[in-house]
Amino acid sequence: MLKVSIRSLLSHKLRLLLTTLAILIGVASVSGTFIFIDTINGTFNRIFQAANSGVAVTVRGHELRGETGGIGGSARQAVPRSLRAAVRGVPGVRDAVGVLFRDGATLIGPDGKTIGGNGPPTFGANWIPNSRISPYHIRSGSPPSGPQDVVVDAGTAKGHDLRVGQQVSIAFVAAPKQVFTITGIAGFGSADSLAGATISLFTEDTAERVLDGQNKYDEIDASAQSGVSDITLRDRIAAVLPHYAEAATGQQAAQAAEQSTESTISTFIGTPLLVFAFIFLFVGSFLIVNTFNILVAQRTRELALLRAIGATRRQVLTSVLVEAALTGVVASILGVLLGLVVASGLNALIKAPPGTTLSLQPRSFIVGLLVGVVVTVVAAMFPARRATRVPPVAALREALPETQTLPRRRIWSGALLLVLGCVTLGVGLSGATAATLQLLGVGVLAIFLGVALLAPLVVGPIASVLGWPVRRLRGAPGLLARENARRNPRRTALTSAALMIGLALVTSVAVLTASFRASADAAIEGALRGDFIVFNQTGSDFSPALATALEGDPSLQNITELRTSSVLIGSSSQSIVAIDPEQAANTLSFEMTSGDEASVARQDTAIVDTAEASARNLSVGSTVTISFPEGKDVRVHIGGIYKQNAIAQGYLVSLSTLAPNVSTARDSVVLANAASGVSVAAAERSLKNDLEQFPLVKGMSRSEYRDFVGKQLDDFLNLITGLLFLAVFIAVLGIVNTLALSVLERTREIGLLRALGMTRGQTRSMVRWESVLIALIGAVLGLAVGVGLGLALANALHNLGIDHVAVPGGNLLLYALVAGIFGVLAAIFPAIRASRLDVLQAVAAE
Amino acid sequence: MSVTQADPRPERTEEASTSAAHSVDAVKVYGRGDAAVRALDGVSVSFNRGGFTAIMGPSGSGKSTLLHCMAGLDKLTSGRTFIGDVELGTLADRPLTLLRRQKVGFIFQSYNLVPTLSALDNIVLPLTIAGDKADPAAVDEVVRITGLGPRLKHRPSELSGGQQQRVAAARALVSRPAIIFADEPTGNLDSRASADLLDFLRHAVSDLGQTIAMVTHDPLAAAHADRVVFLADGRVVQELQAPTADSILGVMRHLGD
Repeated sequence: MLKVSIRSLLSHKLRLLLTTLAILIGVASVSGTFIFIDTINGTFNRIFQAANSGVAVTVRGHELRGETGGIGGSARQAVPRSLRAAVRGVPGVRDAVGVLFRDGATLIGPDGKTIGGNGPPTFGANWIPNSRISPYHIRSGSPPSGPQDVVVDAGTAKGHDLRVGQQVSIAFVAAPKQVFTITGIAGFGSADSLAGATISLFTEDTAERVLDGQNKYDEIDASAQSGVSDITLRDRIAAVLPHYAEAATGQQAAQAAEQSTESTISTFIGTPLLVFAFIFLFVGSFLIVNTFNILVAQRTRELALLRAIGATRRQVLTSVLVEAALTGVVASILGVLLGLVVASGLNALIKAPPGTTLSLQPRSFIVGLLVGVVVTVVAAMFPARRATRVPPVAALREALPETQTLPRRRIWSGALLLVLGCVTLGVGLSGATAATLQLLGVGVLAIFLGVALLAPLVVGPIASVLGWPVRRLRGAPGLLARENARRNPRRTALTSAALMIGLALVTSVAVLTASFRASADAAIEGALRGDFIVFNQTGSDFSPALATALEGDPSLQNITELRTSSVLIGSSSQSIVAIDPEQAANTLSFEMTSGDEASVARQDTAIVDTAEASARNLSVGSTVTISFPEGKDVRVHIGGIYKQNAIAQGYLVSLSTLAPNVSTARDSVVLANAASGVSVAAAERSLKNDLEQFPLVKGMSRSEYRDFVGKQLDDFLNLITGLLFLAVFIAVLGIVNTLALSVLERTREIGLLRALGMTRGQTRSMVRWESVLIALIGAVLGLAVGVGLGLALANALHNLGIDHVAVPGGNLLLYALVAGIFGVLAAIFPAIRASRLDVLQAVAAE
Repeated sequence: MSVTQADPRPERTEEASTSAAHSVDAVKVYGRGDAAVRALDGVSVSFNRGGFTAIMGPSGSGKSTLLHCMAGLDKLTSGRTFIGDVELGTLADRPLTLLRRQKVGFIFQSYNLVPTLSALDNIVLPLTIAGDKADPAAVDEVVRITGLGPRLKHRPSELSGGQQQRVAAARALVSRPAIIFADEPTGNLDSRASADLLDFLRHAVSDLGQTIAMVTHDPLAAAHADRVVFLADGRVVQELQAPTADSILGVMRHLGD
């Protein structure tokens, strides 16, 4: 029987190629993702090891509450500089150094553009004079010694042609930009750079000033005298530490950083990429099911003959599954190899430092192979079971026409899946449980499967409606195309359902971004009353020094700082915003549903948005406990409830409520108005002039801001669409495959039509329009499911400020058009094949 | 585009010839070298307008090959075939297709109908393919003589074999082609359905002046024709005018020796 499977496989190379390609893309995504995240993790692990190699014990503040891990671990409280002397005094400590290491020190290239920032991050730190502890090693030049000195990492120096002695401008989030002289180029351990990040090293005093050190260190690193173990030293140091600090060995710190980094990368990079890989495999499995279904239908006689001469059901089942397994193995082997290419591509995309080698672990290959083979075999299981039901007598009968009616059981299971999917989605979106994303995924999956099972019911009607103009415009080929699309509703449904998935996902994201844009536009019109909005493009917060600088500008008034802090409320981590109520009255407007906006001015009073209020059952007069990051718990009264918008959500308090509870002030946004008597245009020029000192921060007028938000949303939509394009591509392969097999199956019929005078052109047209109809059926289903999904998501995300829903009609039309064009492209090869059929062989065959 | 301009109705052509289709020294060789088989070995035959010709012969005599070549479905190795005065051998695929569309009707043994189309749509399919508006009177006439009235909306799978063949015959007739080629049209039918179909073809010849060339191995079927051409080993070996089943059987017995 193995011979039968192999022969069948090799006799249809195109089919093998297409099914292989469908699985291969998914497998390559799985393997590529694993290799990619292993590679990133490896890079970071080497950094953490290098950073801590000379460190026996590191002393740091406690982790900030409300922070959740991240690359290198959670943000921590800084410790006073004075603690260094205490650590150094512990017996067994050879030396102790203070370290400031913060983001937001960005080199400005000779062209005036920032270096890095869009890819790997940019950091500023103090030069550590003790070369035994310090991970930095001077490659050329000398360490920084004066207030205008900077040392840059060798990777950045090489990449941007920076040399010792060169002047370079550096922008900060905590200070105005400044010109420095490069006194040296440093390596990081043996590497040129820190995972491709840009790092600028200053003297301790300069770092204190430009990084807003506030007389504190981020950590104090100690080396041990010989004969003192790291653990002994850690315990001795811990014994003398004040309550706000803790000690760990260098190895412990490195390991903790590795773990936190790995889980962060897995959450923000690995999981999303694997979700896409899963989508590709899911769509690919439709192609597998359809291919083997058609195969079994076409081989009914052969299978019946095998049964008649004594093959058991199990042997028939095995022959189909073995063919699937062979396809799966071939596809998976090619897939994991392509995974290497995918991983390299992703590496290039994140601008990984040159010379990064891929981290190849057996798991990346084993999982890829397993997933590919299992998906193929499981998908082929349904057709294989059908093959076992072919009775031996079928070998003697004329081919039976395929049943046109859908088994009742299938309708019921489809409807059940659809309902269950909607319910699961609803529960997930209601936020009733913590497993929102999981429920969302399961719900969407069930909806897709349900619609795919029910789709044969609507294929006929949709084909009739869409086919009507085709029949009008294209005559006989149009008529035949429409009837061909309808003749086997299950085949057409399965083919177009694969396309539906990709289009539904793109559509839902399009609906979501359009809704977000409508909400943002409304908020910019309604809630944002300030003429200008100032914020950091990379999303980092910045120093209040900026607002102070703006306050000195006579063309501006009502400078409103929106100061944010991550806090814990109950067990959930949230951001709260603090404002100066007096200024905010002129720059922000709230639509209150109860209470009073002005109540924010009272100490320990907050106004809160309707979503949060209903989630926590808050009303005016109730209290809520806010746990601030550095450990203070404050009971806050609710003074009012407002309708959230795209500018403001969650809790709003006054600056004076926030101030006693945090030691570092950072603004996320600053709003401002043109001073009275100054035109908005003149004020804008003045604002942009002020901001030249802060190149990382952008100041925008309301219309610029609206465009900026729109562009961000477009970029996001384009990224998602680009990734999902692969899912659509797989579905298009499915159309090619179905058409090619259908053409083969209809050889005689096409021959008859050709004999009756149908030209080659008309034959191609017939196949092409069938393809377009299949694609458009997929588009109709995809757009319908996608709009539903998108609206459900948009409604559920009101706590992100989505208060308007919008359906982007233009986008939807475009998607339908693109689907139609894909239909035309998918038909090219099968159409040529159909038009080249030998008429005589077709009508004379057997 | 001389082909498209030519009128498909023979009675209006001013050509002196009375032949709807004819072949001259038709030779068809399959395979090469030692494996070469001469399926047609110099066949010259003419199908006169308004005539009903049966082509008979043992298996492998070349009767189906002759029909395919004369209908423009296959190419000769040498010699010439004509539909009216148009030589088929010189035509590229497209003009040949258009010629088939306008001047030739087909009835095959099986797989004769498009399964997705109703009986009526199948009947008017040649007109639909040509993009012509069906002449309702002509269609009604054809439909009437098939006797399929109430089943016109049915798909082929819902019709009996005999009904399907009558639909195929109606389709061949509806565009009033210069000639209808029928390849074993009764091969899959029982005797009653065969008789119905042959009556239908006879009627088309006698009452409508249709030209028909029919390959068959059934003497009873051939007896409905005006004339029988016998082939053996790729050559015309005998002809009978106004044949009867008995006279045909006589010739066949003789050929069998």
